[in-house]
Amino acid sequence: MPETQNDSAFDATKITRPAPVLLTYYVLVSVPSLFLALPLLWFRFLTLRYTFDHEGVSMRWGLLFRKEILLTYRRIQDIHLTRNLVQRWFGLATVGIQTASGSAGPEMSIEGILEAEPLRDFLYQQMRGARGEPELPNDASGKPVSLGHGTNTTELLREIRDHLARINRLPEDQQ
Amino acid sequence: MNESIHAACTWCYEGVWSMLTNWFRVPRQPPTLPVADDTVVTSFRPSDNYLRYLKLFFWIGCVAVDIGLAILWIVIAVASPLVGVLITPLMLFVMIVPDIVAYVAIHLKFDTMWYVLSDRSMRIRRGIWVIHETTITFENIQNVRLTQGPIERYFGFANLVVETAGGGASAEGQSHGQPHQGIMVGLANASELRDCIMDKARQSQSAGLGDDRHDSGKKCMATGFTDVDVALLAEIRNQIVQLPLQNATGN
Repeated sequence: MPETQNDSAFDATKITRPAPVLLTYYVLVSVPSLFLALPLLWFRFLTLRYTFDHEGVSMRWGLLFRKEILLTYRRIQDIHLTRNLVQRWFGLATVGIQTASGSAGPEMSIEGILEAEPLRDFLYQQMRGARGEPELPNDASGKPVSLGHGTNTTELLREIRDHLARINRLPEDQQ
Repeated sequence: MNESIHAACTWCYEGVWSMLTNWFRVPRQPPTLPVADDTVVTSFRPSDNYLRYLKLFFWIGCVAVDIGLAILWIVIAVASPLVGVLITPLMLFVMIVPDIVAYVAIHLKFDTMWYVLSDRSMRIRRGIWVIHETTITFENIQNVRLTQGPIERYFGFANLVVETAGGGASAEGQSHGQPHQGIMVGLANASELRDCIMDKARQSQSAGLGDDRHDSGKKCMATGFTDVDVALLAEIRNQIVQLPLQNATGN
């Protein structure tokens, strides 16, 4: 599977909580607002949970007002990886996932992941169109049927014709 | 003389770069895309003409601001020569330092822009303070826009905007983080790239809205027989018709 191309140590399904350094980042972010934003961000950090399964990803947070977002990997339209200066110092990043909904901002912003780039590549591999060609239908023996294009079809028919002609000629040659 | 100045400038610029990469953690490597082994990944920057275009606007802005500051300075000096002399260092500082910073910033902006294309997807990186990377698969592309202004046409480059499904209020003024689109500015071969991307987008038979690829089965595979094929088929039919006869006479 394509996942093996990634860093083999990285397993997105093991991610459930943001890294503790995210709290430090939140403290710094709330400095301009004289720490007014800190309580809210602190509760966000405490309650933030991620779930990566083989179908999709969900995140939920909130103490009084709870929020939960679920999406399937197949519906991802584009992935944004944003890291500002402070985030880079902490090794953090924001992975923004956008689906085809009408909102301007990303539908899901995954923060506080130290392995943001492997996570982004994991999501990319799960995304529609990132993996190989769609599988061709299998024939009776289980092998994929190779579907030729127009010229190949003609070639094939010509071959059949030649074969049949040779079979027809065989008894005459033997005589 | 000229070469030594150039070498000194290069040395200074390398210093700024190593500071950015070491302290500000600006990635030194171009972005990569995970791909299968046999596929090629091309990564490139905007064309050099885009840098010249940026510098043209830099010089226009530079001259305009400095002329304004010079006029201000002269007015002050005429009104009160003592103050005029006192603020001379300050004036020179304001006239020169921001220009150097802006000039370096243009080069940095150019050097931190990367476009990476594989056969399935594209990745765009831009930004110095906030580094933004956008990943879009060709299967999700809804449309490709090519834009070119008169000055951009003179410099021989164009901009390509690749859009995916979904919209929402586009935040004006926020040119980097536009949702649902990837912007590739300063492309010398924009129309070739547009054709290439559109070809890949066309190969996908789905609506590009995350629907299953099983929905888009190849239904029309058997049609498309030409007259030659039909004639061949007729010939095969005739051969088959003859088969038992030949066998009968052979026995």
